[in-house]
Amino acid sequence: MVVPPSGEQAAVALGVYEAEGERASFMLAVCGPRTRELAELAVGATIDLFGPLGNGFDLSRTYEQVAIVAGGVGIASVLLAAQALLAGSARVRLYYGARTKALLADAQKFTAAGCSVHCATDDGSFGHAGFITDLLAQSDEVPELILACGPSPMLRAVARVAAKRRVPAQLSLEEAFACGVGACWGCVVPIERSSAQAPRFPHLSTDGNRADPVYARICKEGPVFWAHELRW
Amino acid sequence: MIDLSVWIGKLHLPLPTLMGSGCYGSGEEYSPFIDLSQIGGVVLKSVTRWPRLGNATPRLVPTPSGMLNAIGLQNPGIDWYLEHEVQKFASRPCAIIGSVAGFSIDDYGYVTERLARRDEIAAVEINISCPNVASEGETFACDPKLTAKVVELARGVTDKPLIVKLSPNVTDITQIALEAQAAGADALAVINTVRAMSIDVDAWRPRLGNVTGGLSGAAIRPIALLAVYEVARAVHIPIIGQGGIETATDALEFFLAGASAVSIGTANFTDPRAPVQILDGVREYLRKREVQALADIVGKANVGFSNAHQYEGDEG
Repeated sequence: MVVPPSGEQAAVALGVYEAEGERASFMLAVCGPRTRELAELAVGATIDLFGPLGNGFDLSRTYEQVAIVAGGVGIASVLLAAQALLAGSARVRLYYGARTKALLADAQKFTAAGCSVHCATDDGSFGHAGFITDLLAQSDEVPELILACGPSPMLRAVARVAAKRRVPAQLSLEEAFACGVGACWGCVVPIERSSAQAPRFPHLSTDGNRADPVYARICKEGPVFWAHELRW
Repeated sequence: MIDLSVWIGKLHLPLPTLMGSGCYGSGEEYSPFIDLSQIGGVVLKSVTRWPRLGNATPRLVPTPSGMLNAIGLQNPGIDWYLEHEVQKFASRPCAIIGSVAGFSIDDYGYVTERLARRDEIAAVEINISCPNVASEGETFACDPKLTAKVVELARGVTDKPLIVKLSPNVTDITQIALEAQAAGADALAVINTVRAMSIDVDAWRPRLGNVTGGLSGAAIRPIALLAVYEVARAVHIPIIGQGGIETATDALEFFLAGASAVSIGTANFTDPRAPVQILDGVREYLRKREVQALADIVGKANVGFSNAHQYEGDEG
């Protein structure tokens, strides 16, 4: 959680984009007063942040073929994962979508790292004209794992493609966050009770008497969840 | 050494700050970021007789100088809470105050009795003012007679300090405050969130899953301050002032208006160090003015010197 220095705005949840030695960088899209304030910081300014919070992509297994799907500024949360997978000798395909060409930031970093990069834009100004998940669905290669970060409709589409192609997918969810530390229960998502990420409260079911699903906190149990365990 | 301590009934708090119910979990969530021995106390998230799933999502909306929430009292229910959660609070280095919400008068008595019996719980907040449960919960805080009944029942089942949390969504908050005091409240928490909403003009629908929510943060601070000021002039029991307090200056406003202690909620979301910074600032303020004890400034805002009447003729 990064705190805009004026102290007048709530903290903004950002994923670490790049990390090297003692340097970490963040990427953000200006979409409101909080992100505008951060974007307008002068070089050399000091910011407060607290974290890291929550759980990132689970890359504890080794994979040979992985697809990463990023939508818009969601690209900021997948570079470290791509680098880690490539270091573990996986082949990584990046599917990167945005509204328009100008918003496809830093695709070359993924190419340089060794990913094959496939792009889509809503307006057709670069790559496939349409949804990035079209490319994922049409791909001739079936990956062992899909990682995705982006807007909620894209993540739902990724989950549908993953289910159809029987590929496990890890989705990094975003919501409006308040505390960021699991205290306020504001950023919840329905999840299967049997999930390892389901909170331990035994009684909380999202539909009355049935056992499933329960609400998990995106900031605490997530933000990354297995697509097949979500009930959203 | 400046004395910041405050009495809430027979509970002695060395520091006059509490972390607002629902904003701070049980304290553990914030322990990586702040020394819990420096924050005063935590008011736990409200617990109800039966487990509650809470509201549909989205539950949060950022708004100018504040935020809307509509969590809907999600909690595991008193049985599970007593069996699995409460024992963890014993090791917290700050006061732990329970919070009880209900949907019937009996609920409040039942849950308060069981919760207050536990040694880990130093006091109980009676949350009669949750705005996010289809207005059932807030019904109690909006009706002086129901307020009195709920507090009387809770008073009858425990000797521990009872804090009654009042709603600002009423015509006359002092009337409710007086009923709560007469029914045996040891202190009043003033105020809960202000009912509010936000609409997505692209989607033509409310931004909150619950449609309406509670507004918190700096946006409601002047509303809360007036409520504290008015309630303080009506009652003789301590008031815990709350609503958008972010800085020492904000807290001092509430002390001068008549709050003996303050509660900090939304400010923790911006900066988990806020409670410590607020206390440091209050100490510094009192030291500069050579005030020995915080209690010496409570309710001391001087409202007797207005000369506005002199200009009535000129200004109309």
